[in-house]
Amino acid sequence: MRVEFAGVGKRFGRVAALRDVSLELPPGSRTALIGPNGSGKSTLVRALMGMLVFDGELRIGGVRVDDDRASLAPRIAYVPQIAPRFAAPVRDVVAAIARVRGVSVDAVAAVARELDLDVGQLGKRPFRALSGGQRQKVLAALALATDAGLFVLDEPTASMDPQSRLAFFRLVERLPASTTVVLCSHRLDEIRRLVDRVVVLAEGVVAWQGSAAGYLEEHAEGVVEVQVAGGGADRWLADRGFSCGAAGWWSRSVPVGERARLLADIGKSLNGQVRDVVARDVERLQPKENGGGS
Amino acid sequence: MAAVRSLRREVAVVARLDFAEVLRSRWLVFCLVVHAALAAMFVLVGLRESGVVGFTGMGRALMSWSHALLFLLPLLALSATSQVVNTARDDGSLELLTSHPVSRSAYFLGVSLVRVAALVVPLLVAMPAVALGGVFAFGQDVPWGFLLRGMAVSAALLLCFTAVGLALSTLVRNQGKALMLTILVWAAAVALVDFGLVGVMLQWELPPSAVFALAALNPVECARLALLSAAQPELSTFGPVGFFLANRVGSDALFALGLGWPLLLGVTAWVWSLGAFRRRDLL
Repeated sequence: MRVEFAGVGKRFGRVAALRDVSLELPPGSRTALIGPNGSGKSTLVRALMGMLVFDGELRIGGVRVDDDRASLAPRIAYVPQIAPRFAAPVRDVVAAIARVRGVSVDAVAAVARELDLDVGQLGKRPFRALSGGQRQKVLAALALATDAGLFVLDEPTASMDPQSRLAFFRLVERLPASTTVVLCSHRLDEIRRLVDRVVVLAEGVVAWQGSAAGYLEEHAEGVVEVQVAGGGADRWLADRGFSCGAAGWWSRSVPVGERARLLADIGKSLNGQVRDVVARDVERLQPKENGGGS
Repeated sequence: MAAVRSLRREVAVVARLDFAEVLRSRWLVFCLVVHAALAAMFVLVGLRESGVVGFTGMGRALMSWSHALLFLLPLLALSATSQVVNTARDDGSLELLTSHPVSRSAYFLGVSLVRVAALVVPLLVAMPAVALGGVFAFGQDVPWGFLLRGMAVSAALLLCFTAVGLALSTLVRNQGKALMLTILVWAAAVALVDFGLVGVMLQWELPPSAVFALAALNPVECARLALLSAAQPELSTFGPVGFFLANRVGSDALFALGLGWPLLLGVTAWVWSLGAFRRRDLL
C-alpha cells in the first residue's frame, strides 16, 4: 500500500509537533522513522493510524485517512510501543482482537509460538499479569497473523529478549514483498535487518531521508570486541587502539566500512590466540557530514 | 446490515474486555455491598410503626432508602465513569483497540453499556430483593407501585450521571482534574436541592423564579420530586419548589418530569461526548 503525506502538520496548543511533512512511501517499501524524543515520530504514526486530527493530507492506498478510517482499519496492522494492561485473560484478549480482525486464534497462536510464547498455556492468566515482553509478543502475534497491506511497528521489540527479537525479524522478513512497513526504532540492528529506507525527523520536520545503507554509513559506528588468550596478543591489540575492559575483553570503535578489514587482520595476526570476537553497531552521536541522504 | 453486524461485533469485543476491567476493580461487588448495607440499615431502622409522608412499615423503609440513594447514586455513577476514557488513553488500551477495526463509536458504546450495566444491575437486584426480604422475613406488605417508582427514578438518575461521568472522562484528559470535577459536580447536584437554593436565594437575594428554575434543572431535585410525587403535596416534605410544581403540574407530570429530565440530560451528555470522542484527537 502506498502511503502519502502531503503537508501534514499538527499542533498541540502552542507546540508544533509536525510541520509541513511531505513524504511518499511506495508500496512494498520498508521505512524506519527515526529521531530524538519529541521529534514528532509518535505524532506522525498516530496521524497515520487516524488517531489525531491534523492539517494537510494523508493517504493510504489512495484513501484519505480522515475520510474512510473504517475501510482502512482492516488493511493496517499496528504494534504499539506500550502494551496495555487489560484485566481480561490472555485468551479473551486474543479471541476478541482476532474476532474483529477476522483471523483465527490458531493463526495468532502459531505466530506467538514462533516468538517463543505459548498462548494456550498463558490463556487463563490476566493479560495485565504478563511481563512487558510477553505482552509485546502477543500484540506482535496479533498484528503479524493478519494479511494487512501496511504494518506500522512502533518500537516493536523494545521489551523482547534477544532470541525473540531475532524471531520477530524473521517474521517481518517473511511478509509478502508488496507489504509496506513503517518502523519506529532507534535500534541499528532493526534498521539493518528490516528496512531499506530511513526518514529522520527533528523538531517536527523531515531532517533527512535516504537509503538505510546511507543512514548506517552516516550514523552507525562499528565496534569490535576481542577476547584473547594473553601474551603477545595484548600488545598487538593495544598497538592498534584497542582498550582492555572487564573479563579480558578488548574493544575499539571502527568506521563500519573498515570493520571487515580489521576483523581479517585479527584473524590473520592473532591466529590461535583469539577466544571470541564480537562485531556490532552503535549509534554515532555526531553524524558524518558527507552523508548520502537528501 | 453488514455495518450493523460489524458494529455489534465491535461493541461486543469492547464490552467483553471492559467487563473484565469492571470485575477486576470489583465495582459490581462494591455497588452490591453499598446497596445491601444501606438497605439493611433502613429496613432495620425503618420497620417501626411510625409514618413518613404517609408511608409506614416497608413503604417507609423503601422511601428512606430511595431518598438516600438519590444522593449516593450520582457519586457512585460519577466515580465509576469519570476515569474510563482518560485512563484508557493513558494506559494504551484505547490506542490498541482503535488500531484494530474497532470504530470510536463502538468503543464508546461498548464501555457505556458495561458501565451502565455495572451500576444499574445491582440496583435492580437489590431493591426487589429487599422488598421480598421484607415480605418473607418480616411479613410486611410491600408497596410494589412505590418500589417500581423508586427503581425507575433511581435508574434514570444513574443513567444521567453515568453519561455525565463519561462526558467528563472524554473531555478532561487529566485524570486528577476529572476526579476533582467529579466531586464538584456531585457536590453541586447534592447541595443545590431546593433547601440549599433557598439559602442561596436569601444570601444573594435571587428572585424566587430563578431559584425554582435552578432547582428544577437539577436532576437530583427532579428525581426527588418524582419519588415524592405519589404522596400528598405538603410544603414540609416537598420543599418550596416541589410544593409549587406539584400544585401547578400535578403528581403525574411531576413524576414524568422527574423521570424524563434526568434521562434527557443523560442522553444529551452522552451524545455530546460521543460526538467529541469521534471528532477530536483520540490520544
